[in-house]
Amino acid sequence: MGQVAVSAVSKIYGEPGAIGSVVALDNVSFEIPDNRFCAILGHSGCGKTTLLNIAAGFEQATKGVVTVDGTPIREPGWQHTMIFQDYALFPWMSVAQNIAFGLEMKNIPRPERARVTRHHVELVGLQGFEHKLPHHLSGGMRQRVAIARALAVGPRVLLMDEPFAALDAQNRSLMQDELVLIWQREPKTVLLVTHSIDEAIKLADYIVVMTRRPGRVKSFIEVDLPRPRDEDSAAYAKLKRRLRMLIHDEIGDDDQ
Amino acid sequence: MQSRHVPPPQSDAGEDVSGRIEAARAPMPPEPAAPLPVNPVLVWIIRVGAYLPNLALFGVMIALWEFTSNVWLPRIDPQMAVLMPAPTTIAVTAAAMIMSGELFYHLVASLKREATAFVFASAAIPIGMAMGWWRPVYNQMNPIVELLRPIPPLAWIPLSILWFGLGDEQNQFIIFLGMFFPILINTIMGVRNIEPNLVRAARSLGASERRVLTRIVLKGALPEIVTGIRIALGFGWMALVAAELVGANSGLGFLINDARSMLRTDIITVGMLTIGIVGLAIDAGIRALTRRTLPWSLAMAK
Repeated sequence: MGQVAVSAVSKIYGEPGAIGSVVALDNVSFEIPDNRFCAILGHSGCGKTTLLNIAAGFEQATKGVVTVDGTPIREPGWQHTMIFQDYALFPWMSVAQNIAFGLEMKNIPRPERARVTRHHVELVGLQGFEHKLPHHLSGGMRQRVAIARALAVGPRVLLMDEPFAALDAQNRSLMQDELVLIWQREPKTVLLVTHSIDEAIKLADYIVVMTRRPGRVKSFIEVDLPRPRDEDSAAYAKLKRRLRMLIHDEIGDDDQ
Repeated sequence: MQSRHVPPPQSDAGEDVSGRIEAARAPMPPEPAAPLPVNPVLVWIIRVGAYLPNLALFGVMIALWEFTSNVWLPRIDPQMAVLMPAPTTIAVTAAAMIMSGELFYHLVASLKREATAFVFASAAIPIGMAMGWWRPVYNQMNPIVELLRPIPPLAWIPLSILWFGLGDEQNQFIIFLGMFFPILINTIMGVRNIEPNLVRAARSLGASERRVLTRIVLKGALPEIVTGIRIALGFGWMALVAAELVGANSGLGFLINDARSMLRTDIITVGMLTIGIVGLAIDAGIRALTRRTLPWSLAMAK
């Protein structure tokens, strides 16, 4: 369960057609089958975060709709939960309390909550840190907590907004590998926004390349490289070159 | 910090930065060595010992004061000496007032008023949350708040005496006014300043609006609410003494005003010092409580 369909989504800030109104998304459509990993790739300002916010229910599309298993998304909820770049962990809650928060909101009884929490602590490898507060953890560990917290509620689709952008290069690469392992163990439909070509190739089954302002789908690419993805392979290099061409085309579009 | 530890071309700042970069590069910081067991009493003695030099001027002032009150003033005009009791006289009076329970009686009367007023003033927390969270509530309430807030609590004394008569209610009302607005304003700011992603994350994990308010907004605003309470208790304490000067027959404000009519300057001074020390203690208590219960807020502030 977790088929995502983005159908003809447009987002206009301000009165449509009026001076000063900004078209952030223009007629964006694509579909992600169940339990597949999709990366939305584009420059900053291409509306990719807007698209994710619409999928999370934080913003409403001006036109079009995002559906999960056929149900249109109208408001935020655990079935399409979001992981933030700044982790957004509740600073006064311990690791375990953070992970259990969504379960508590679902009114899941305490013993079951404890069991699910323990499972997810182990899934992201944070045993021994259950009672630490977030500010005692490193950036990578905080993002693990955020991932565990989001997975614990059992969403149909997981939305990730540049989740590793705040990490240094080594940790980022580590966390990308980790995310693939977690995802392979507990398959989920994932929609991940990134501006990094490498991140997109390393993680995704599908890559949606977005144009710059207004955001449109420039290209929808299926990545059929075997996992774990080998950065030195010819196929990887070829795909990277292709994506770089697509992305580079977009630079300078602002000057027209 | 001494320059001889640093090679000449490199400044202190340069050295600091390189150290930080190195630390950031290290994959895992080494476990800090277990601290040696230290006798806490010894630590305390050392701390007090280190602080003592700071009290040099204080000591000199006390000595001068003693000399003025006991030697100098009596020589010029013995009657004037009454107006300025010596530190030793004050200490003797204080001891007597503590032993007789008089000081304690008035202190408790004042603290009771402060506490009662605080209970009422804490209504500012839900009101402030509603104002900070729902824009229409803010728009309706804010003109009233902005009009009432600049009126000093003491300006309410005449009207409050007519309303409540002299006594506890009138005193508590004045203190309440002193406390209400700092708590209200800080609560509104606390709610407004919450990291928006925390609210989004909670919603995205399935929290209803009621639960977002109780579990996230209240908790996230708590550090600023506590700051508001700290300011409020200070304001309230000041308003309390003023209110008691005018309309009470117990409490520290009454004590010092009553002593005036009997020219007991020593009692006045003991009362004033008690007011100061208790005010300081309340503030220190809340700070300690914050450190103990909201450790994350200090980490966030960095």
